[in-house]
Amino acid sequence: MTSTLDPIALQHYLAVGGIMFVIGLIGFMTRRNLILMFLCTELMFQGVVINLVAFGAYHDNFAGQAFTIFVLVIAAAEASLALGLIVLLYRHKATLDADAWRELKG
Amino acid sequence: MQDLWIVQHSYLIPLLPLIAAAIAGFFGARFLKGQSHWPIWLGVGASAVMSIVLLFQTIGLMGHGAEASAAHGSAAHATASAADRHGAKTVSAVYNAFTWIAAGDPKNAGTNQYFEAAAGFFFDPLTVTMLCVVCGIGFFITVFAAGYMKGETGYWRFFAYLGLFIFSMTCLVMGENLIMLYLGWEGVGLCSYLLIGYYYEKPAAREAAKKAFLVNRIGDFGFGIGIMLSFAAFGTVSYFGADGYTPGVANGLLELAAKPQAGMTDFQVQVLNWLPFLLMLGAFGKSAQFPLYVWLPDAMEGPTPVSALIHAATMVTAGVYMIARCGTLFVGNEAAMMTVAFVGAFTALFAGSIALRQFDLKKVFAYSTVSQLGFMFVGVGVLAPVTGVFHLVTHAFFKALLFLSSGVVMHAMLGHLDMRKMSGLKTVLPKTRWLMLIGCLALAGVIPLAGFWSKDEIVAAAWHASPVLGIVMLLTAFVTAYYTFRLYFRVFEGPRLVPDQPHPDHHGAGDDHGEDSHGSAAHAVASAANPHRHQADHHHHNHEPALMMVPLVVLAIGAVIAGLALWQGHRLGHFLGQSPSFVGAFELAQDTYNVKAADQAHWVNPLVFGQPEYRQAAVVKAEATGHYIFMAVSTIIALAGIGLAYSLHLKDRPKADRLALSMSGVANAMEHKYWVDEFYQAAVIEPLRRIGGIFFTLDKYFVDGLVWLAGFIPQLGGFVLKLTLQRGYVQGYALSMVLGIAIILLVVFL
Repeated sequence: MTSTLDPIALQHYLAVGGIMFVIGLIGFMTRRNLILMFLCTELMFQGVVINLVAFGAYHDNFAGQAFTIFVLVIAAAEASLALGLIVLLYRHKATLDADAWRELKG
Repeated sequence: MQDLWIVQHSYLIPLLPLIAAAIAGFFGARFLKGQSHWPIWLGVGASAVMSIVLLFQTIGLMGHGAEASAAHGSAAHATASAADRHGAKTVSAVYNAFTWIAAGDPKNAGTNQYFEAAAGFFFDPLTVTMLCVVCGIGFFITVFAAGYMKGETGYWRFFAYLGLFIFSMTCLVMGENLIMLYLGWEGVGLCSYLLIGYYYEKPAAREAAKKAFLVNRIGDFGFGIGIMLSFAAFGTVSYFGADGYTPGVANGLLELAAKPQAGMTDFQVQVLNWLPFLLMLGAFGKSAQFPLYVWLPDAMEGPTPVSALIHAATMVTAGVYMIARCGTLFVGNEAAMMTVAFVGAFTALFAGSIALRQFDLKKVFAYSTVSQLGFMFVGVGVLAPVTGVFHLVTHAFFKALLFLSSGVVMHAMLGHLDMRKMSGLKTVLPKTRWLMLIGCLALAGVIPLAGFWSKDEIVAAAWHASPVLGIVMLLTAFVTAYYTFRLYFRVFEGPRLVPDQPHPDHHGAGDDHGEDSHGSAAHAVASAANPHRHQADHHHHNHEPALMMVPLVVLAIGAVIAGLALWQGHRLGHFLGQSPSFVGAFELAQDTYNVKAADQAHWVNPLVFGQPEYRQAAVVKAEATGHYIFMAVSTIIALAGIGLAYSLHLKDRPKADRLALSMSGVANAMEHKYWVDEFYQAAVIEPLRRIGGIFFTLDKYFVDGLVWLAGFIPQLGGFVLKLTLQRGYVQGYALSMVLGIAIILLVVFL
């Protein structure tokens, strides 16, 4: 497949991916709601995925996309796990606030 | 002398008692028990036999005019005159078992960059004399001890320690270098500690043992430094070199120290100024001179045979031996010689005065020993080492006799030793009474017993050196006679008085006459003719069994004849005069003192150094008359002392009490030993204890505190981290991770 991507345009894709990742990171660090924290981790995933695909296209092969499939599967599995854990945590404290679990300090 | 069988096999002399001690020590408790004395009898007896044989062989060598010491391995040949200035004959030999210590590069042998100490023995007349005293008297004391200590628990322990002691003492007197001397020195100190503390369940005995060891240690400290200094200055600690004494060849320490001062380096001259003082500190500690004498009276806590052997005849004489052996290290230093003489004289009078008011039999004899050792030190200090050794030999006989007799008395009196509690024992212990009388006469210096000759020689030599010394010695002789006979008259003569209760500390040993009779009055009616074991009839005690009496008789014979035998014809002087130590010391003395004044001929008296060939006729004549005057004066003084004791302690005893009351201040001071122990306690021990307490507190709070701090800081760090980083806040953890990644990226990419 001929490169349909202008090399200069790679930076834009990487920037988008990076910005998504950073937004996810900051969101994860600042949010208190457990589900929203998890949402941000998913956002981080997507940022990484965008980078992967961009690099794959840049190198003219499907490696990036193939690896993306892996990442997406993992993200899905992890989503199910995380939501299960959140449900359990909610059952103990009747709240989705991350601060409720501060007793693990020290 | 080198080829004698005994010299070639001289390792047996210390080895056999050591093996005996090991046998008694390892097998005594379970197997040998009451027979533990056999290995020691055999071991020490063998050493004693070898010593006597060696003595006769050495005398034989001299008699046949055997010339100077044989070179190592070769037969005796006449080499002396060429190298030795005066052609003095000497008899000596060396036996090196193995090289014990060899440190440094052998290329530097002879300098102080190479230290070598051989496990070797040096034989000469002085060694042979000391060996005979140690092993001979030691053997008889072990015989006595078997009777005395019968029935004791720990019987095997006693004999094992005795064997160890004989081993150490023989190493001391036979040693070929200062290190062997020091080995023996420390070994006898150890055995003294073990034996004084034999009754370790008794607190007083434990304290006395510690005291003896610690006070000795003070002396040993000086001695050790002296040895190190002598090595640093002269490069060797061997007396005459590993190959033995060769006249004219200065291999050993004693010869190097005797070289003319012009040939020495500055450092060596400096060291020789201080060395005698350091060495004499050791001698003062071991031989119980002022101010390190305080351990000897307390050492009487040990069993009586120990007091006799160690604290009268052998160990305490090690200091005198050392000064006699290392004559050339002392003689050149006039201040040192005067110190030795004056300290000896002071101690003699001081200790004698304390003995005047002691009531414990053994304490009287202990102070007497300190006093007589003072005599010996005066002898060696006034350049009359033969007299010092002479008195050493005679004193060994009669003092051991006196101590052992006291032991017999102690056993008979059920552990009591206070002379106020006993009197008139001549009916209870007839044989002992005569033997003790002989000992007392010898100690008091009554002609013709042994003590007279040796003490007289010392007094004469002291007078010639300095009239002050002479007067002090005569005064001490008077005091000696008085306190000796005070004891004798109080204990053996007079109305009969025996204690009826055993002394609380009486250990029950030797109580083969023990079980039933104590508690009733009317004790021992000694059946002098019946040495059989006591039967049910409790009046038939035998307090004088043969096992204990025979050694006493032997010692008494020695106390009677040893003096005259050695003095007559100057036998001992001639004998010792062929020792390289004495020859060297004499020559050095001649150089040192004759240079100073022309008429000092009698100062350095060749007779007392044992070099009769070099005496001038005029001096001989003046000496002889002077001597007879001294003999008369000494006898008068001794008889005066005995007379005073008779009048105060036999004829009219209450007079003694009245006299003591009227002089109560002085008498009190004497009885309390002039409070020297209390002074040491307050001035030395308590401050040291306080300082120790301070250091202990310092250690506990400061040093241990530092250690604690070192353990605390990581804890603190962890606590801080716990409080700051582990907040339980998930986002906080995430932040930490991000920061960590950021730092890594920064580091990697920058």
